[in-house]
Amino acid sequence: MERRKLFVYFISLMFVVLLAGLLNLNVLQGAKLRRLSKSNCIRLIPQSGARGNILDRNGEVIAGNKISYDVMVLPQESSQVDRAISAVSRILGTGEKELKAAFRKNFVSSSLPAGVADNIDPKKAIVLEEYKAEEPSIIIQPKPLRYYPHGSSASHVIGYVNEIDRWRLTKLEDYGYKTKDIVGFGGVEEKYDYYLRQEEGGLSVEVNHRGKFTRVLGFQPPVNGKDVQLTLDIRMQKIAESALSGRKGSVILMDPQSGAILALANYPDYNPSVFVNRRTSAINSLFNNPDSPLINRAIQSSYPPASIFKAVVASAGLELKKINLSTNFICRGSMMVGARKFSCWDTHGAQDIIQALSHSCDVFFYRTGLLLGGQNIHDYAIKLGLARPTGFDLPYETGGFIPSPLWRKINKFQKWFDGDTANLSIGQGDCLTTPMQLTAMMAVFANQGYLPVPYIIKAVGGLDLEAKKKRLSRVAFKKSTFEAVGKGLREVVSDEKGTGNVLSALPVAVAGKTGTAQVSRGLTHAWFVGFFPYDKPKYVICVFLENGGPGHAATVIARRIIEEMNKQGLI
Amino acid sequence: MRNSFIRILVIALVIALIGVLSIYSSTYQKEGALWQDIYKRQILWLALGVVCFFLMSGFNYRKLWDASYFIYGLALFLLFLVFSLGIIRLGAQRWLKFAWFNFQPSEFVKLAVIIFLARYFSRKSESDISLLSRKFGIFRGIALPFIFVAIPMFLVIEQPDLGSGLMILLAFVSLLYLTDVRLKYIIVLLILLVAPLPLFWNFLRPYQKERLLVFLNPNIDPLGAGYTVIQSRIAIGSGGFLGKGWLSGTQSQLYFLPESHTDFIFATFSEQWGFLGSSLLIFLYYLLIRQGFIIAKRTQDSFGKLLAYGISILLALQVFINIAMNMGLAPVVGLPLPLLSYGGSSILVTFIALGILVNIDRTRAVF
Repeated sequence: MERRKLFVYFISLMFVVLLAGLLNLNVLQGAKLRRLSKSNCIRLIPQSGARGNILDRNGEVIAGNKISYDVMVLPQESSQVDRAISAVSRILGTGEKELKAAFRKNFVSSSLPAGVADNIDPKKAIVLEEYKAEEPSIIIQPKPLRYYPHGSSASHVIGYVNEIDRWRLTKLEDYGYKTKDIVGFGGVEEKYDYYLRQEEGGLSVEVNHRGKFTRVLGFQPPVNGKDVQLTLDIRMQKIAESALSGRKGSVILMDPQSGAILALANYPDYNPSVFVNRRTSAINSLFNNPDSPLINRAIQSSYPPASIFKAVVASAGLELKKINLSTNFICRGSMMVGARKFSCWDTHGAQDIIQALSHSCDVFFYRTGLLLGGQNIHDYAIKLGLARPTGFDLPYETGGFIPSPLWRKINKFQKWFDGDTANLSIGQGDCLTTPMQLTAMMAVFANQGYLPVPYIIKAVGGLDLEAKKKRLSRVAFKKSTFEAVGKGLREVVSDEKGTGNVLSALPVAVAGKTGTAQVSRGLTHAWFVGFFPYDKPKYVICVFLENGGPGHAATVIARRIIEEMNKQGLI
Repeated sequence: MRNSFIRILVIALVIALIGVLSIYSSTYQKEGALWQDIYKRQILWLALGVVCFFLMSGFNYRKLWDASYFIYGLALFLLFLVFSLGIIRLGAQRWLKFAWFNFQPSEFVKLAVIIFLARYFSRKSESDISLLSRKFGIFRGIALPFIFVAIPMFLVIEQPDLGSGLMILLAFVSLLYLTDVRLKYIIVLLILLVAPLPLFWNFLRPYQKERLLVFLNPNIDPLGAGYTVIQSRIAIGSGGFLGKGWLSGTQSQLYFLPESHTDFIFATFSEQWGFLGSSLLIFLYYLLIRQGFIIAKRTQDSFGKLLAYGISILLALQVFINIAMNMGLAPVVGLPLPLLSYGGSSILVTFIALGILVNIDRTRAVF
């Protein structure tokens, strides 16, 4: 019987072995196997929300979204990935090496699909979707992508979107930005990125052994970004752009009563969609172009204001009573300041303030400037919003610069000479302003007493920001000063010899000032800054042409714009 | 005396019902009426099995003594029939098609061989009441019965059904050991069996070789032969202590685990009921087999004793090898888990065997 007892023990031992095996799998290897079980059947499918739209004041989409298709590959088994990639490569006609490099770059975890090709042709997406039956690790992911229905229109206002760079990432990490996020660069896209930004959602789904969907385990809905509405009017924007066509410079149209920007055009511009399509050569040529098309000239670069600055000197002279309406200076084509001869561009004879503005007589303003002194001119420039950023919504606004005796003494340890004052009086010398600053300054003369903070954001996510902010600050000049300067600006156009006389033929009464800025190299910069209609100003217009020749050139463009606006009934 | 009847019936029924639940859970998500109805078919087989159990428990097992050569002959006949008429499924020719069901003779052959061996070894000389087997020489003790066993075993392995063939061999060796055949003969037999194994290797089918290699290291072919073992281990291990809950097993219900309602039903069950359920199930099997051994122990009739041992061994070995292979502790051989796996032949034969067992216990007092 010994054998039978032994045998029963042996059988019992077998059951002990089974229990031990069970214990081993459940307890010792339990965690590992549970993880494997999950990765077996759980797939995370990212679902991206759409970035907020950028609309013009009438709700017209300037930057919207359209559906694009990305190809992703599930990194489950390496052999599968290779097979899937070679299949994708066959269908897309892209090199396997490229796809593999993209896959490695985008790989995050084994349960998360990694992208290999972005924004593919919809037809190929369909073909690949069909192919999925054979290669379940291929995933076609629809994704909203930035789309610009108006092409390069308003490109500097909008900015562009691209993968976040290291500098922005270090700055924005704390706000939930991650590597490989698509963020705005420049313009509204950058400044309002936090609002425009979508929240990524995702599905975690269960799949069977073939990778076929069986059920949804969890769903975090993607949240679309908030729409940003601009004060921009895309019609005016287009008029401004076509008027500028091919000439380096910028055009700004602003509502002088509020400071709302209606058009902001720059040339050279760029098509933001090259960043969406990742067309590397096009992007590189944008960055390497010596004309720097990515620069928003209206706010990011500053130029000598030249004769536009005479409006500042005129107001300062009248306010400080250095001159009055009957003051006359005689222009003989030049005058001596110290030992240096300062010339005028013409010989105007006797000029009062109105005529001097209208004819842009330099001698009159040399003399007024010398009466005022450099510091006073500087102070009045400050009052009119120069030498500091206007507070405009878009990023990277530069402040410009107005020199003063005090600044000279402190920073350069040099004396201020009368010649410097004379130079400053006609907006030359070290004096630098942005087109936006001059637009805001001109608005003060248009609305007679209020310096607006230019803005371009009308509403964010349906919340009207326009109504919330009081943006105008009082410029406490006497009414007679505004009237006199205003009349002078009007005469620029209406006077037969006025520098802006080409605008007199227009059906609307325009007032403004031309400017021709001397530069150390190349052609002069051309300016025209004005407002219209004269009686009840609705628009401030600023046309600036970089190395565009005399102010007349800018005035002609301003005429073209106003003509076209009138034709379209926008005035 | 009635105790063993009720105990065995209750345990077997509990296990079989667990089996129905598991079969339902592993097939209810599959499409097609055939899959949907599979658990109903199992219930039908179960009912038939219980009827057989009742019949056999009332059928005097001594009559099997007389019929054992006939049963053996019938088994061989069925096996030959499989060769000529059998239907091929999953690359193996194991089934015989009847009116509305398929019968797998190898299940029956296992039992037939046990009955035959019990008969063979329980012969007594007229002068002595002790068993003859103790006095058997190498020819009558080993060689002759081995030939009898080898014929059906060879036929079963050729089907190919390595698992059932192996089962027959193991049952044979166990019975040899239990019938007091001299140990050195058994050792000689084992050596003779093991020594030509390297040669035997060449006769294995490619998939059988693969399975054996994969048993040694399942990761050599994770998507091919090793896939089942890996998935089954994942299924068992991911169940945790309490399991994922009935109908919530992801491994078995999302088709990651092949054969989740037949050979790998233990993994299906274990995933859903966890360590607790699985150890309970193993314990139930242990109780059932223990009943068999208790009956064998207290039976005086040597034929009945050997038969009871044989049946218990058959059950124990199948349970052990199947569960061990689910856990990756044994190579994958096509072997159902008695009472739990889907399969009419297996369930029927198991209930018949249990019925015989009960009858042995019931009849022992008669002698």
